[in-house]
Amino acid sequence: MKVHYGRQIIQPKIATSSEKFTISPAFIAHVCQRCGQKNNEKLPNNHFYCQACLSLGRVSSHDVLLSYPEPNDFTGEVILSWQGRLTRQQQDVSDELIETLARQREHLIWAVTGAGKTEMLFPVIYQALKQKLRVAIVSPRIDVIVELAPRLRQAFSQTDMVVLHGAQTEDYRYTQLVLATTHQMLRFKSAFDLLIVDEVDSFPYAGDKMLEHAVETARKSHSALIYLSATPTKALQKRVKHHELMASYLPLRFHQHLLPTLNTKIVSDWRKKLPAKFLKQIRQLTQNHGRFLIFVPKVADLKPVFQMIEKHFPDINGAYVHAADPYRQEKVQKMRDEAYQYLVTTTILERGVTFPGIDVLILGADEAIFSENALVQIAGRVGRSKDRPTGLVLAYIQHTTLKIRAAQHQIKQMNRRGKRLGGQ
Amino acid sequence: MTCRLCQEFLDDHASLLQTFGFIKWQKRQICQVCEATFSLIKTGCLGCGRNQDTQQLCYDCQRWQQQGKQLLNHQALYQYNDAMRQFMQQYKFNGDYALRAIFNHELIQKVQTIATDMVVPIPVSQHTMFTRGFNQTTGLIAGIKYQSILQVRTTQKSHQSQFNRQERLTREQIFTVKEGVSLQGKQILLIDDVYTTGNTLFHAADLLYELGAENVKSLSLAR
Repeated sequence: MKVHYGRQIIQPKIATSSEKFTISPAFIAHVCQRCGQKNNEKLPNNHFYCQACLSLGRVSSHDVLLSYPEPNDFTGEVILSWQGRLTRQQQDVSDELIETLARQREHLIWAVTGAGKTEMLFPVIYQALKQKLRVAIVSPRIDVIVELAPRLRQAFSQTDMVVLHGAQTEDYRYTQLVLATTHQMLRFKSAFDLLIVDEVDSFPYAGDKMLEHAVETARKSHSALIYLSATPTKALQKRVKHHELMASYLPLRFHQHLLPTLNTKIVSDWRKKLPAKFLKQIRQLTQNHGRFLIFVPKVADLKPVFQMIEKHFPDINGAYVHAADPYRQEKVQKMRDEAYQYLVTTTILERGVTFPGIDVLILGADEAIFSENALVQIAGRVGRSKDRPTGLVLAYIQHTTLKIRAAQHQIKQMNRRGKRLGGQ
Repeated sequence: MTCRLCQEFLDDHASLLQTFGFIKWQKRQICQVCEATFSLIKTGCLGCGRNQDTQQLCYDCQRWQQQGKQLLNHQALYQYNDAMRQFMQQYKFNGDYALRAIFNHELIQKVQTIATDMVVPIPVSQHTMFTRGFNQTTGLIAGIKYQSILQVRTTQKSHQSQFNRQERLTREQIFTVKEGVSLQGKQILLIDDVYTTGNTLFHAADLLYELGAENVKSLSLAR
C-alpha cells in the first residue's frame, strides 16, 4: 500500500480494487484529468484516449484514476552531511527560502550560472525533511537530474531518495525525497509539501501547459514551490514584476568572480571549411592542455565538424554527443572524468552540466537555434570553478545578430550588478 | 507532419504528377530511418510464411502435417524482429490505436492479392475490449470488408502471450462461431497480427473446417 501514497494510478473501469483509493473519472468534458489536456485519439465504439500523456501509460475513456492521499509517513530523522559553507549572498537567499517554506509560498531564485544554486537549497530541504514533509526536486532536463543525484545523495546520506526519469531502470518506491523529470510529476497527486523546479525556463517545460499542470497537481494545495533559473522566461519575469511571485536575485557567482563575456569572431562559411582562426584557437588551447566544448547548431553538423577536428588534431581525445545518442551519459561522464579533452555537442549541454576549467567555442552562433538565453547559458559553462574562475567564450559567426547582442547585454548587466556586490 | 514512431520531422510532399492524380500518392506514415528497421519477408516457408531462403516446408509445418492438420498457406509481411516487437508493444500493449495507420495500406494491398470469399479477423476477448478498447487485428486492416464471425469463449481469461509454446499447443478450442453463419463451400482468409506458434490460427481453422468451410488460408503482419 505504501507504494501508492501520493500517487495517481490508471485502472480499467471493470477492474475492482480492494484498497481504499479515491476514484475519480479519467476525463471530464473530454479533458484528460491526469495531464489537463484535450488531445484525444479515437478508439472504436465512441471511446478515446489521451495522446498528450501517452508516454507515461495510456489514459482512456475505459479507465478511471485512482489516488491515495499522502500521509507523510516519515520519521523526520535526517542528517545534513554537506560540509561546505555558503557565501553571504547565498545565505541571504537560503534564509528567504526557509521563509518561503514556512509560509507555503511560491518563490523564484534568479541566480547567474554558477551561483551555487544547489548548495543554497540544502538548508531548506533539510528543514523540510526534518518537519516530515515530502520533497521533490524536478527539472525538465534529464542531464540536470543525473548530475544532481550524486550531490543530493551525498548531502542527505541518511535519507532514502528515488530518482525517476524515462531512461531509468530503478523501480519506484515510496521515499521522502524524490528527484525526477517534470514529466514524472504526472504520476503524483497532492504528494509534495515542497516542490523545487530547477531550470524552469528550459525545454520542454517552458510554455508547456501539460507539464505546468503536472507540477501543479503533484504538489499539495498547501505547499511551497521554488523555481530556479539563470535566465527566467519573460512570463516569469512578468509575474515577478506584478508581485505575483516572490524573487531572490543573485547576480554573483559563488567564487565572487564576474561572468565570462561572450566574444565574437567573424568567419566565412565554417560548414565548408573550418576557419583558420578557429583551428588556431584550438591549437592554442591544446598546447596549454585546456579542455573545451564546441557547440554546433544542428545534429547533422556534429559528425563532419568532429571529423575535421580529428583530422587536424589526431593526437587529442574527443567525441561528439547529441540528444538521441545511446552513449550520451557515458560520453558526458568521460568528459567529466577528463578522459576526453573536448566534446562537440548541440544545445543539449547548454545547461546543468559542470566541467571544471573548460573553455567554450560556438560555431554558427548566429543561427536561429541559439537563442539569447541559450547563449547566456552556454557562456555560463565557463569559469565555474574556484581554481579557474575565468575562461574563453568565443562565438564564430558570419554576421552579428540581435540575439548575440542581447546575450552580451544580459551578461554585461548581470556583471554590473555583480560588481556592486563586490565581484571582480 | 512527423514520423509516427520517432516523432522526427517528416519531409514528405507529393510531386506534380501526384498532386494532379496521375500517379497514386500514399502519404508517408513513418520516416525512412524507422522504416529501415523493419525487415520484409521476401521468401518464406510455404506453410507458415517463416522467413527462409527457400519455400520448403519448415520443421514446425511438417509437425503440423503429421498431426493431420491442413496447412494454412500462411503469409506474413514482416519478420518479428526488435523493431516489430517494439511496434507491437506500443500499439497493442500501450494501446496507441493511432499506430494502426502505419501498416494499414500494405496489409490491405496484400489482402487484395489473395483470392477469398470471406476475410475473418481473429477476435479479442471481451475483457480486452474493455481494457485495450480495440481489436488490434481489425485496426490493422481497417478499410476493407471483413466478417467478425469468430468469438473468444467466455472462459478465456488470460492473454495468449502469457503462455509458452508447450502450454499454447495443449490448450483446447478457444473460439466459437456466431450463430446462424453459413460457411458451406466458402474460401476463408484468416487475419491475425502476429504468427508465433500458429496455434491460434489452427484453432480457428479447425472450427471453420468443422462448419463446412472449403479452404482456410491466413495472413499476418509479422511472423
